[in-house]
Amino acid sequence: MEILKIQSITKKFGTHFAVNGVSFSVEKGSIFGLLGPNGAGKTTTLRMMTNVLMPDSGTIEIFGVPAGYATQDRIGYLPEERGLYKKIKVIDQLIYFGQLKGMSRGDATIKAKYWLKRLDAGDWEKKKIQELSKGMAQKVQFISTILHSPDLLILDEPFSGFDPVNAELLKKIIIDMKEEGKTIILSTHVMEQVEQLCDNICLIDTGRVILSGNVRTIKSGYGRDTVLLEFEGDDSFLDGFSNLSFINRTKNRVEFRLLDSTIKSNDILAEALKYVKIFRYDVVEPSLNEIFIDTVTHNINNIKNENNNGVSNINAEANKEGGAK
Amino acid sequence: MKTEFPKIGTIIKHEYLIKVRSKGFIISTLLGPLIMVAFLGIVAFIGYISQDSTEKKIAILDYTGKIGNQLIAIDSVKYTLTSEKEKLLENQVKDNKIDGFLVIWENFLETGRADLTTSGGGSLGLIGNLDSDLSKILRHQRLLDAGITEGVIKLVNKGADIQTRKLTKEGAQKDYAEVFAILGYVLGFGIYILMFMYGSFVMRSVIEEKANRIVEIIASSARPFEIMFGKVVGVGAVGLTQVLFWVLISPLFFMGAEKVINIIMKPEDLMQGMQMAQAQGSMQMAQAQAMLPKGFEMPHISPWLGVGFIFYFLSGYFIFSSLFAAVGSAVDQESDAQQLMTPVSLLIVIPMLFIPYLMTNPDNTLSIVLSLFPYFSPMLMMVRISATNVPFWQVALSVVLLVACFFFTLWIAAKVYRVGILMYGKKPSFKDIIKWLRVA
Repeated sequence: MEILKIQSITKKFGTHFAVNGVSFSVEKGSIFGLLGPNGAGKTTTLRMMTNVLMPDSGTIEIFGVPAGYATQDRIGYLPEERGLYKKIKVIDQLIYFGQLKGMSRGDATIKAKYWLKRLDAGDWEKKKIQELSKGMAQKVQFISTILHSPDLLILDEPFSGFDPVNAELLKKIIIDMKEEGKTIILSTHVMEQVEQLCDNICLIDTGRVILSGNVRTIKSGYGRDTVLLEFEGDDSFLDGFSNLSFINRTKNRVEFRLLDSTIKSNDILAEALKYVKIFRYDVVEPSLNEIFIDTVTHNINNIKNENNNGVSNINAEANKEGGAK
Repeated sequence: MKTEFPKIGTIIKHEYLIKVRSKGFIISTLLGPLIMVAFLGIVAFIGYISQDSTEKKIAILDYTGKIGNQLIAIDSVKYTLTSEKEKLLENQVKDNKIDGFLVIWENFLETGRADLTTSGGGSLGLIGNLDSDLSKILRHQRLLDAGITEGVIKLVNKGADIQTRKLTKEGAQKDYAEVFAILGYVLGFGIYILMFMYGSFVMRSVIEEKANRIVEIIASSARPFEIMFGKVVGVGAVGLTQVLFWVLISPLFFMGAEKVINIIMKPEDLMQGMQMAQAQGSMQMAQAQAMLPKGFEMPHISPWLGVGFIFYFLSGYFIFSSLFAAVGSAVDQESDAQQLMTPVSLLIVIPMLFIPYLMTNPDNTLSIVLSLFPYFSPMLMMVRISATNVPFWQVALSVVLLVACFFFTLWIAAKVYRVGILMYGKKPSFKDIIKWLRVA
């Protein structure tokens, strides 16, 4: 069952299209990754889901009804820019946010105490936010998002600001919620988390969807075309191959993709054996990170080519940019 | 309302409680009356000092030989007869042995001329007293000299007495009109201050939520209209709490003030001081006079004036705090608000400038038009209601216009708010804001 259905939504700020004809849908009980580089239109899309903004055109359906003030109460939204009242006590703050989502005061109090305890934050109840560390405040913020046990959880960079221990705690809660049948939309730059958590993804750039689907399917679709080489010696022999795209190139380690099927990884290995001492030679599926970079870079090239036909060295430049990341 | 805007109640309560519980609110609520008492005390004290002439020592150098004695008969403490030379008297004044001396020339009865020399140029009060004392004596003496018998003079004076009483009564009536005009000024000014004060509370609260990035969480939970309306009403309720508290403790405050004033001075001094103040056109003193518990008979104040005050304060507050909220939503920090505040401030300051005009001409066409313009109405209609009998239709029209204006302003402000709260970084210009109005 689709819990969220977005159909060709558009949002324009002045003359700039922040979101330009984006469509995707999210299955109930899944974790969905909304990915994209900075300024791709992710936050704008999330804001339209939460009805903070309204699309200029297109439709958003949540729980089978058009997104609006009525659907807000069933959504828990953790914005990328975190914010709490500095001078208000943790518990009062949580109760207020709970009430804003339509909870009764008593209900909000019970839930707030429960979650504070579960996140090892029971002692902070009476403290003001300004007395807490940033990580502690992040926990309180997270609690404010899930307090009213929303059916749809929208998390923008949920793990930023958390240490690894707390990040694990958070991950566990997210997975628990999924098992309870809640739906989670995750927007993040950390591709490892996406690979660990997400069932489906949608990659947007410059306001458009450039890749979407099941994480497994997408990865296997790319095939095993990525080479990881660890060595000692001079790697300049690699420059002899023209159709390689370098992902990482450091002194003793290089990672690259074979851009077309005319090059065989065995040829490269044969060449490498002549020049360097090999410690490791792996041919693997690309990581989501590489797919991300690759797709986004291609998208940039396509746009540039559309705008300016016949510029030849952009590809190389873009690859370099991608590699630097 | 309940189903359409379910979050308003929660927001109002939240805004109200965080303000009312804050230290700033408690301190300003408690200190407000104390500051008022201190202020009144200073005003009364200044009035007292300026009335100090009764304590002064004036030497009388009387060349007629008839007038000086009669002055001493009026006030033997202030006036002393002297036969010293003027030069010597001048030295005494310089040495502060006496405060001044009065030379009554030989031909005083014909010309009425007398010269006063004092150390400090002579206060208005002193001259006034001296003038009235001398005039009384002069009249009496002239009549006597013209061969009129004491009996006739008494008779004439009796008639004059009746006339004086009439004058007093007239004077009292005039005073009442003045008091009401001044009261109108005070109330209009009070609305001005309260509107500015609570309006900027609303603005600061919006900016705080924006700066702390709380606003996105709230905006994903409630309508912008609910957030703004809730904030405006919540902070307005805080203002009402404070005002009501002050009104409730005001009997205590007046009792205290009365005691203080009575300890410092005698009531008749006070009367004179206040009349002086009024003559000098000092608004603060007149204000103090309007609040005096004793020594001055307060005219009856209609409770409708109180109702009017609360209505015009609230409507003005609602309209302007919506604008303040819109301004707050458009900027990142308070210091950026200045430019956008200017037109809003003008709408508050301009009627302020018209208050004196309306006080003196409450019934002419310009005053009526100005007091009906909804952005000016809270202050100016208040002044007119106090200063004159405003026809019912005008009050009714102003109420209708104000309510309509409030919803219109709130609607506009909510649009600006909706766009503004998510805009960071760039300080928007008016052009931008007009664009937002079209977008939202």
